[in-house]
Amino acid sequence: MLSLRTLLTGTAVTLSLAGVASADGHGGPYAPYAGTTLVINVPAHPHYNAMMKVLPQFTEETGIEVEVDQLQYLKMRERQTLELTKDVGDYDLISYVVFSKADYVFADQLENLAKYFMNPKLSDPSYDAEDLIDGYVANIGIAGGKKGYLPGPTGSLYGIPYGSETSVLAYRKDIFEKHGIATPETYDQLLDAACKIPEVEEGMGGMASRAASGHQASHAFLLHLAPLGGRVFDDNWNPIINNEAGVAAANALKTIVDCGPEGSQTFGPAEAAASFSQGNAAMFMDSIAFAAGFEDPSKSKVAGKVGYALHPEGVRRGSQTGGFGIAIPKNAQNKEAAFLLMQWLTSKKGDLATAMAGGNPSRFSTYQDAGLNEKYPYSATFGEALKYADPDWRPIIPTWGKINADIGTTMSQVLTEGLDPQEALDGVAARAKDIMAEAGYYTWQ
Amino acid sequence: MQTANVNRLTPYLFLAPAALIMAIALLYPIGYMIYASFLDWNPSQRIGEAEFVGLRNYINLLSDAAFLESFRVTISFAAIVVSIEMFVGVGLALLLDRNIRGMSLLRTLFILPMMIAPIVVGLMWRYMYHPTVGIFNRTLKSLGLEPVPWLSDGSWAFASVVIADVWQWTPFIFILSLAALQSLPQSAMEASRIDGATGWQQIIYIKLPLMMPVLIVTLLLRLIDAFKVLEVILVLTNGGPGLSTEILSLRISRTASEFRELGEAAAMSNFLLILLMVLTFGMFFYNKAVEMRAARLRAAAEED
Repeated sequence: MLSLRTLLTGTAVTLSLAGVASADGHGGPYAPYAGTTLVINVPAHPHYNAMMKVLPQFTEETGIEVEVDQLQYLKMRERQTLELTKDVGDYDLISYVVFSKADYVFADQLENLAKYFMNPKLSDPSYDAEDLIDGYVANIGIAGGKKGYLPGPTGSLYGIPYGSETSVLAYRKDIFEKHGIATPETYDQLLDAACKIPEVEEGMGGMASRAASGHQASHAFLLHLAPLGGRVFDDNWNPIINNEAGVAAANALKTIVDCGPEGSQTFGPAEAAASFSQGNAAMFMDSIAFAAGFEDPSKSKVAGKVGYALHPEGVRRGSQTGGFGIAIPKNAQNKEAAFLLMQWLTSKKGDLATAMAGGNPSRFSTYQDAGLNEKYPYSATFGEALKYADPDWRPIIPTWGKINADIGTTMSQVLTEGLDPQEALDGVAARAKDIMAEAGYYTWQ
Repeated sequence: MQTANVNRLTPYLFLAPAALIMAIALLYPIGYMIYASFLDWNPSQRIGEAEFVGLRNYINLLSDAAFLESFRVTISFAAIVVSIEMFVGVGLALLLDRNIRGMSLLRTLFILPMMIAPIVVGLMWRYMYHPTVGIFNRTLKSLGLEPVPWLSDGSWAFASVVIADVWQWTPFIFILSLAALQSLPQSAMEASRIDGATGWQQIIYIKLPLMMPVLIVTLLLRLIDAFKVLEVILVLTNGGPGLSTEILSLRISRTASEFRELGEAAAMSNFLLILLMVLTFGMFFYNKAVEMRAARLRAAAEED
């Protein structure tokens, strides 16, 4: 009864506003939705702070109002989990962190985007989906293909990358030059440099890395696992995280944290980035999303002194793919208008505008834009890094949350309590095997 | 006949609203939790869609090393924290149970920590424990001492959360014991003074035994709270490093939100509930036993 009344009032308001809006002269595809208010849920993240700056432009062009609920990304995920099980949801568009793709798609809570792109009234013919960075689309947008979470003939699109990221190495040009250290291109060079710096530069740590118990330590470990040739599972879902590559990755992380700035063992991404931007560490290898913050002199002591290089090569190149995508919940109240916002934000124009405001591009064309390269000179390196972005650097499956947390606490024990990496990873592998068996991944074997 | 029936029913009729409210507000949520603990329930499902798995969650938990570790951490945290707090709190109360000028101001100052929101307490201590800019390490360094890895080493992190909790909750015990002290019968004090008891003898033989009922309730309240503490540790260490500060309530919250296992989280909550019930009943029976013993002694004394 209540929801019906809300619905009716909502419609009435929308209609009256639509009348006003069309009188104002809004026309074209957006006209039927002018005056609608969309409620969107996004993370507190540099990219979405940039989005906040471009949203007024969207409202001005389309007459669609947008109300934003911004939360820390793990909190956001919790909120969405509850929100998506409701009959009528409060959010029209959500930004989801990449590993939520598995949960939401598996629980059938996201709209398949095919019907919107098929609808001539909604789909913009100049959208140019070919231009979207394919590694990101594979990692964030598509589900149902290879291994269930990657593209393939049976896959389809549930979200569009927006605020997606890869990893690069940020380093202090001045410090590296002062001590004649070359920019690391391989993992050996990286680890050498990480431990040399605290020796030659007093009070400075080598590399600031995430390492806090739980998700952060797991993320940091996986960042090294792919380039060093490892994977969490083989193609038959058998855990291979404890093979040589896995141990090498754990040792790499331990070396980095041991040679890192003080208190590294408990850093989350924000603390690690702060440590770098306050000049307490000479390197920072994490998401490209932090770069804009390093170059902002009001927040960073190292603006202008930072060089950017590709994520170093181990036995292969493999930088992370991750970050966020946007999707329409099945229980959204204004799906079509939400699609229009989604399409606008990820269009060439929207993507460029967000990038100019400090966000991360999701399109190749944006990285090639002259204006962007002038404003953010590192854009060219980031565009290059994307060629090596690995969409399969971590599995995106419903059981991942538990395995991820287990990797994270175990890694934290390796980092702080001196647990042997091989022993630690053997434990993770055994527990992962049980979790996978319970979830039925070995049913067909 | 009719009237007699109605008369017999009257008290139940009057009790009915209270019983109803209790059933809805208390028993329903607990029943829900107990039911949920028998399910394999993912937060993306509604409760009706979850699969019934019987006792599987409980059995899994008993062989889950991480859960057992967190159970151990919880018990040692509660035991250490509550012992220190009782000792310091009661000690302070005994010291300050006198007429000093500005006592009311002092008392207000003392209970400030427990008025601060736990999240703020966590943040405050987190900055004080900060490895480079925190006050503790800066002071240590300026004294020429080695900085301490407050939050980044397992045992130090455990000590750090204990310190923060003691700081916050000692005042609670302090004001309750002070109130108990001030309501003690003056006649007993005077009698002991006339008999020539020293200060220590007064404390040990008169004050503490007379305060005991209040102290036991205080202890119980603090124990229950200590088993459920969440926010301060969440902000300070988030359970890390490793599992060194992962108390049960944090593990429950992670199981529900990160591992997405609502059924298992409910089973853990039930374990915690059972533990607290055992404690409460234990205290209750101890109290009863002490009272009965006192009554027996009194009866024996009267017979003589």
